[in-house]
Amino acid sequence: MTSMIERPPEVTAPAAAEPRARWLPASAGQALVWFAVVALVVGPFFPLVYSSLRSKPIYLPGGTFTLAAYRTLFADPLFWRAVRNTVSFAVGTTVLAVACGTALAVLCGRTNMPGRKMYGRLLIAPILIPPLGLIVGWLAIYGQGGYLTQAVSRNLHLPVWNLSSIPGMSLLGAVITIPIVYLTVQAALAGTDSSPEDAARSAGAGPWRVITRVTLPMLRPAILNCTLLIFALCLEILGIPLFLGTPSNIDFYASYLYRSWSSGATPDPSFVSAGAVLLLMVVSGLLIIRARLSGSEQRFIASSALGGGTYRPLNLGRWRWPSCIALGTFIGVTSVIPLLGLVLMSCVKVLTTLEVPWHLFTAENWHLVATDPTLRRSIIDSLIIAGGGGAATVLLVAVATLIAHRSGFPLRRTLAPALIYPRAVPGVILGIGFFWTYLMFTPGALVRNNLWGELIALCVRNLTLAYVVIYPSLARINAELDRTARSSGAGWWTVARRILLPILRPALLAAFVLMFITLLGDYDPVVFLQKPGTEVLGVTMLQTWQRGIVGPVAALAVVQVAIVAIVLLLGARVLRRLRRA
Amino acid sequence: MPDIHVEHLSKSFSGTKVLDDISFTVKDKEFVTLLGPSGCGKTTTLMCIAGFQTPDEGLIACGDDTFVDRGARVDLAAERRNLGIVFQSFAIWPHMTVAQNVAFPLRVRKMSKRAITARVDEVLALVELGQQAGRYPHQLSGGQQQRVALGRAIAYSPAVLLLDEPFSNLDAKLRERARDWLKGLQHTLGLTTVFVTHDQDEALSMSDRILVMNAGRILREGSPEEVYRQPQARFVAEFLGQCNFLTGAVTAGPDGEAVLKTAEFGDGIAVPEHHAGPTGTIAVRPEDIEISQPDAPGSGPAGTVLDASYLGDHYQYRIAVGTVQLSVRSQRPLAQGPVRVRIPPGAATFVE
Repeated sequence: MTSMIERPPEVTAPAAAEPRARWLPASAGQALVWFAVVALVVGPFFPLVYSSLRSKPIYLPGGTFTLAAYRTLFADPLFWRAVRNTVSFAVGTTVLAVACGTALAVLCGRTNMPGRKMYGRLLIAPILIPPLGLIVGWLAIYGQGGYLTQAVSRNLHLPVWNLSSIPGMSLLGAVITIPIVYLTVQAALAGTDSSPEDAARSAGAGPWRVITRVTLPMLRPAILNCTLLIFALCLEILGIPLFLGTPSNIDFYASYLYRSWSSGATPDPSFVSAGAVLLLMVVSGLLIIRARLSGSEQRFIASSALGGGTYRPLNLGRWRWPSCIALGTFIGVTSVIPLLGLVLMSCVKVLTTLEVPWHLFTAENWHLVATDPTLRRSIIDSLIIAGGGGAATVLLVAVATLIAHRSGFPLRRTLAPALIYPRAVPGVILGIGFFWTYLMFTPGALVRNNLWGELIALCVRNLTLAYVVIYPSLARINAELDRTARSSGAGWWTVARRILLPILRPALLAAFVLMFITLLGDYDPVVFLQKPGTEVLGVTMLQTWQRGIVGPVAALAVVQVAIVAIVLLLGARVLRRLRRA
Repeated sequence: MPDIHVEHLSKSFSGTKVLDDISFTVKDKEFVTLLGPSGCGKTTTLMCIAGFQTPDEGLIACGDDTFVDRGARVDLAAERRNLGIVFQSFAIWPHMTVAQNVAFPLRVRKMSKRAITARVDEVLALVELGQQAGRYPHQLSGGQQQRVALGRAIAYSPAVLLLDEPFSNLDAKLRERARDWLKGLQHTLGLTTVFVTHDQDEALSMSDRILVMNAGRILREGSPEEVYRQPQARFVAEFLGQCNFLTGAVTAGPDGEAVLKTAEFGDGIAVPEHHAGPTGTIAVRPEDIEISQPDAPGSGPAGTVLDASYLGDHYQYRIAVGTVQLSVRSQRPLAQGPVRVRIPPGAATFVE
């Protein structure tokens, strides 16, 4: 059979041709992508720092370099109050979230509590619920005029909690951040096997002693890691103080910046930039410490992952069912009831316990969402940003990830940090940075005051998420696959387009779904950019709420949650089909 | 097909020298094997030829094309070298069918659709995968995957075929068949081939020439027989099969051959080689040592069988002769106890 192929047969004549010559070296395109990523990520910080050091706003003629902005900031007693509030909130939230998150992870990951698998899935749900939806839902139920608050105070005449106090806000902050702790600790648990725990049990230790003496000390690196992360997140939080703090006049760092910006005597005061620069330094410092720590933690996990996998659950004994019921109640109170409250609030004239809800039923809120141009536009704009911006970002990040990890581009090592940094920067800071960037540079004028500017800010802020999803998938693709393609005569871009990106399809889709959900719910980078005519969901909800109009805000939040649910379901379905193929 | 010239190749990774002045030539249609333990630099050498690693110094040329010349700052991109490569993992693109995998290098070269179809059919017939053209890689067995990788590598008639341990992902039975099949194909098509392996059986059975490498250097170069029979270096002798080593005084024999005398072999072992120096070390393969009954006269010094293991087609013995222990391979069953051991003239060779 081999004899019929004496080499070279006629058809090989064209095959002997050289691979197609390229009119541009591959590195030119790589340089372009590199420049786009670095300019988008690093660009906004220069105008931010610059404007904090000028005596006059950039758009006014004249002005000198000065530290006056920082002096103004430090002289403002409101600033110091906001700092104190933020620190107490951050400490409270972090302690609560880390304690509860760790307990939940150990309960679901290491014991024989009934329903632990289902609870494990439900516990991370708050990550997927748009944060403003959860906040509005909490206000509807547990806020000053909330449904349950009223029920307890007016109908039962009992002393009542105050959600708008710092402890109250810490509680909600903890509910929002618990999934982060849960995921981190659970990953650490999954990466280590239970043989140290088994050994302790053979030595005669009971479940409680095993958990406190063996399991928890083993988890110390993971716990420390998410403690720092959550503390840093708390410093920049904007939605909670704006929604919850306003009634009791409590400002946090981010809301202080926002209020000074939007209601100051001079527009766009430079001391806001100064405040942003300070916050940027503090948060970056915290996250650098965390990166150092988690580096050593990963070494720890990698070495023990070899034996990982199986474990024998700890027996809770007679505490099995009580803990199961307690956890169910926790999920019901923190997530399910607020979401139901959100739906209820969107369907009634006013949420009160003095009248049964169906007597107050109204379609007015939904009618307003459907007809009011601002509300309608904010839904459509948000969908455009989430869909178009999400797709564009995933594509850019995918190519940048390939350059960072699968090319010979000289500056490739700078790309991975550039892709991780934006998410580490507080959203409000990035927003102020983009505001000054659009103002200072001529090309910026093209996107100033329109949706494109907001799209860019939101996408840059969240591009880290796409990287975090795509990179692990790329790392699993054997480098011999691209090397073979190169040897076959394909240039770098052909390999990217025809080999690597097609193989990465499931990861690209997952990244897109995550981007879509996040872009739909995110708002902090655009609170400084939004102008009438370019509304997005989050900011519109914020501003409408501040005007005291709550029903339509609840309706918008329900729309947001519904869109997220639909996209998640569709995404999971397509992903399953892709994986099967 | 052109020759490959590799000259004075050196490369270090963070201070460790992985290639230390490597030079060799692969002639047209020749099958050359780089053999050595892991970390000896054989794969690095292959990757330098393929263009995935750049040597610190040296030159690699294929016919008139210079691939790398550090002196002249030439470093041709991997995709411009016209090579076919088969990796250990086979590296078949999972999102393409068998036919699409094989067609890829042809499409990259902008061949016409009809020419591509014709060539793909031809190549798939050659690697005996005509029936599997429409299948996806995960539907194929290991042996079929390997043939897809090979078909893809030869689809555009590359100047040189590079093989990076292509058999190590196959099970033992399949490996032997794939070996014969690949050798036949290489011979029929007249492919100039560079093959990297750590498996001595693969190297011996397939190669026209073997380069044994260790610690970034080429220790021995020659045909399989030369390398096996006259390893020259102790490392080479040990790496290619088992070997006994004896060190003693060297004198000149009556016919000009060298004679090595040790305390155990007082009559001397004749080695038909020229050897300078008063002492030397010889290597003797276990199968070349003769064993006879203890009462057989004139058949070498007396020894004792310490233990025996039965390996199907032969026995492996450990025999003590004086203070040395020899490993001996024989078809004959022997009981533990006294024997006589003889190393016939020509069985031993000097090593450094």
